[in-house]
Amino acid sequence: MNEQQISEKIKELLIENLGIEAEVLTDEIPLFGDGIGLDSIDSLEMIAAIDKEFGVSMTGVGKEPFYNVASLTKYVAEHL
Amino acid sequence: MTDNKNRCVITGLGMICAIGNNVDETWSNALKGVSGIKNTQTVDTEGCYATLAAEVHDDTLDECPHSDEMDRVSKLCVKAAKEALDDAGYSINENESGRVSVIMGSCVGGVASIEKYYRSGEPEEDITKMPISAIANQVAYVYGANGIVTNIANACAAGTISIAYACDLIRSGKCDVAIAGGADAFASVPYAGFLSLHALAENGCSPFNHCDGITLGEGSGVLIVESYEHAKARNAKIYCEVLGSGISSDAHHITAPREDGEGQMNAIRQALDKSGVPEDEIGYINAHGTGTAKNDNAEFLSLHTIFDDKNDNLSVSSTKAMVGHCLGAAGAIEAVFSVKALTENMVPPTIGYSDEDIEALKEKAGKIDFRPNEAKSKELTTVMSNSFAFGGNNASIVFSKNEGNVSVIDNPEKVYITGLGVVSSCGNGIDNYVDKYNAGVCPESTSVASEVGSADYASCGLKMAFYRKLDKFSQLQAVSGMNAILDADLTINDDNAKDIGIVVGTAAGPLATICTFQKDLIEGGNAAGSAFRFPNTVYNAAGGYLSICSGIKGYNATVTNGAQSGLASVAYAVEVLRQGKNSIVLATGTDENCDIMTELYGKLGKVAANTGRAYSGMDGYVLGDGSTTLVLESESSLKERGAKPYAEVAGYGMAHSAVAFGQLEGSGDALCEAIRFAAEDAGMKLEDIDAIVGFGNGDKEIDTLELDAYRKVFGDDFALPVFTVKDTTGEGRAASAALSATHAALMLSDKYKVAGRAYKLSGKAMVQSDVDTAAFKNVLVTSYGIGGSYCAVLIRRV
Repeated sequence: MNEQQISEKIKELLIENLGIEAEVLTDEIPLFGDGIGLDSIDSLEMIAAIDKEFGVSMTGVGKEPFYNVASLTKYVAEHL
Repeated sequence: MTDNKNRCVITGLGMICAIGNNVDETWSNALKGVSGIKNTQTVDTEGCYATLAAEVHDDTLDECPHSDEMDRVSKLCVKAAKEALDDAGYSINENESGRVSVIMGSCVGGVASIEKYYRSGEPEEDITKMPISAIANQVAYVYGANGIVTNIANACAAGTISIAYACDLIRSGKCDVAIAGGADAFASVPYAGFLSLHALAENGCSPFNHCDGITLGEGSGVLIVESYEHAKARNAKIYCEVLGSGISSDAHHITAPREDGEGQMNAIRQALDKSGVPEDEIGYINAHGTGTAKNDNAEFLSLHTIFDDKNDNLSVSSTKAMVGHCLGAAGAIEAVFSVKALTENMVPPTIGYSDEDIEALKEKAGKIDFRPNEAKSKELTTVMSNSFAFGGNNASIVFSKNEGNVSVIDNPEKVYITGLGVVSSCGNGIDNYVDKYNAGVCPESTSVASEVGSADYASCGLKMAFYRKLDKFSQLQAVSGMNAILDADLTINDDNAKDIGIVVGTAAGPLATICTFQKDLIEGGNAAGSAFRFPNTVYNAAGGYLSICSGIKGYNATVTNGAQSGLASVAYAVEVLRQGKNSIVLATGTDENCDIMTELYGKLGKVAANTGRAYSGMDGYVLGDGSTTLVLESESSLKERGAKPYAEVAGYGMAHSAVAFGQLEGSGDALCEAIRFAAEDAGMKLEDIDAIVGFGNGDKEIDTLELDAYRKVFGDDFALPVFTVKDTTGEGRAASAALSATHAALMLSDKYKVAGRAYKLSGKAMVQSDVDTAAFKNVLVTSYGIGGSYCAVLIRRV
């Protein structure tokens, strides 16, 4: 799976599991900012979805990889 | 002192929970500090970090009449209700059954039946066991109560709000006796849900102590609440008085309480104020005390802020350490504990403290006695019970040996409709609804659904960071609610937020979300619950979100009993306004349609084979959905704001004729009663009524019952024009009931020109004709609920 495919899959997970509208979800938009506004419950959900989809555990990982889709993609690609 | 006519007393108690199958057994174990928390024996715990629960062990639950028609939650409730009625020495006779109400609280209702449905081939028989609506109906059915029957679905505050509402109904003369309380059964949905939030304690809950999570319990508490005069007349044993109550919203977060305790303190202060008792009269508080850090820290803060310096003799405990968190039953079970504590002069303990814990508690407790481990004998005069729920709903109620100083407004202000918000299957907004109605637009299929999108959110200022978290049920409510606030030109700020409330009415609530959550658990195990979805599985999520996005901090109730809930919410709101609890209340009706709901209603034979109009003799109806919000406002608030009313809500009536839940047949007389009560409440004669907005939806059973009742009330050849919103929107259940009240208000207002397309009786048939609405002064609105509940509201031209 290349980074492009990982990124698309992560977007799908976010749209499906966290109610984010597809048209605003770019690689760069901050996930925890005002626009999308993820919170701690959402991160639990995101960690569970990424674990299920990619087999990559992000439990206990610091904040940085969760910044945006690009950083999540990078983390998943490096830990696949 | 409270006037005798406004005194409400407790005359019977019933309870079942993990430490006892009746009040005596439970109370005796509570005083001994017995814990009912053990490894669960009923749900799958594979891969789950917490495995404890406080479950009921009673092999007699199936012995009640009609038990095969009930979920476990109703069986628990029916059992506790029997004990309470027996304890009160009261059996409901036919002559006064209409004066006996049933008000029950629940959080998750029949979720065990939802699990069974999906695990056992989706049998039709499980469907009517699923909704919370069933509970009060089944209690009424078993014991023959025909007064106001409904359920309060405010999650963990439901049991307390149900007792508070029961007292309001007694004080306003709507009933003499109320069987009030709450019930919830332990099941995989709440278990997996709290697990997903990491809110379950691994080693059992430890309120005001380790504060590392809750342990779920189950059970039911039921109290016979009675007017003092009724109790006295039948020479009943009186346990104590129920004084005032306080109900508030946090406007903060869907699951977490405000850290500053503001909402909790608003509820507690209001309860003290309405009771007319000072802080130092409260000798014991049965705290909410769930054992989560967020709740317990906020509650420590609230109690210290209110009682420190004013009360040196306060004992507090959380009985949840023994019986677990029984969710919608919690407030009711804790009310029974509170009444027992008061009348036996014994404070039950919070168990689970080591010597080290007791040392640590001293610092957090200050002067308050948090009663670790051991019960204490203490002379008590007045006690309080607090419940704080998901959705940021707070409730507090006061029980006393004394009459207190409960003030009841004898000459309530008039109530006006000053704002409307509509989301429907024919589109959103009032203008759109009027256009579609006037054009005679009809649903194009037998199952139609509302849609809300970016434009709707933008129009009422809702951001994606907020609305993406909501399920469809809550989204519909948020948009109709916010649009109604805009339409009322109402600005919510720090000055008025506490004086504005919300009463949501719904038939099925977020049933589709619960079903989806349950299906995911069946597929992925109980460790796979979605933390994102779980908060939306509680019925009061919609009201909670509306409070958050609007900033409303006043009353907050979610009432559920079939389609009529959307009109019963108007009646409920009128009661809140008349008693001066708030100056403005949003009354709503909301129900959703989607594939799951169409499947469930379809299996019950409610979805018609083809589209068709009201009174056309179909089997079933066009299933629809939507959300309608009416802003109701007291006369003084309206004048102060310079608001322009659509119309006045002149009065309401509610009645019940107990039939099996899921049925209507044989219950029509209650509709006649509801109409007569509404006229009486409005000080109106039946001949003053100019038109009806009814509940005709095309289903021959429902339509025939409706017309038979009108014939009985208004005469065999009644000439009143009957309108229905359902030819335009389908059967949107609670949304349609509230839309019917909206339709009446629109016809009576000069703001819109609504077509006079009505049905009139011609021989035995209802025939469409065009009538002149300009001369209408009083319009009757009616609605029905399966199980035999009816609500009627009279709307008057201003």
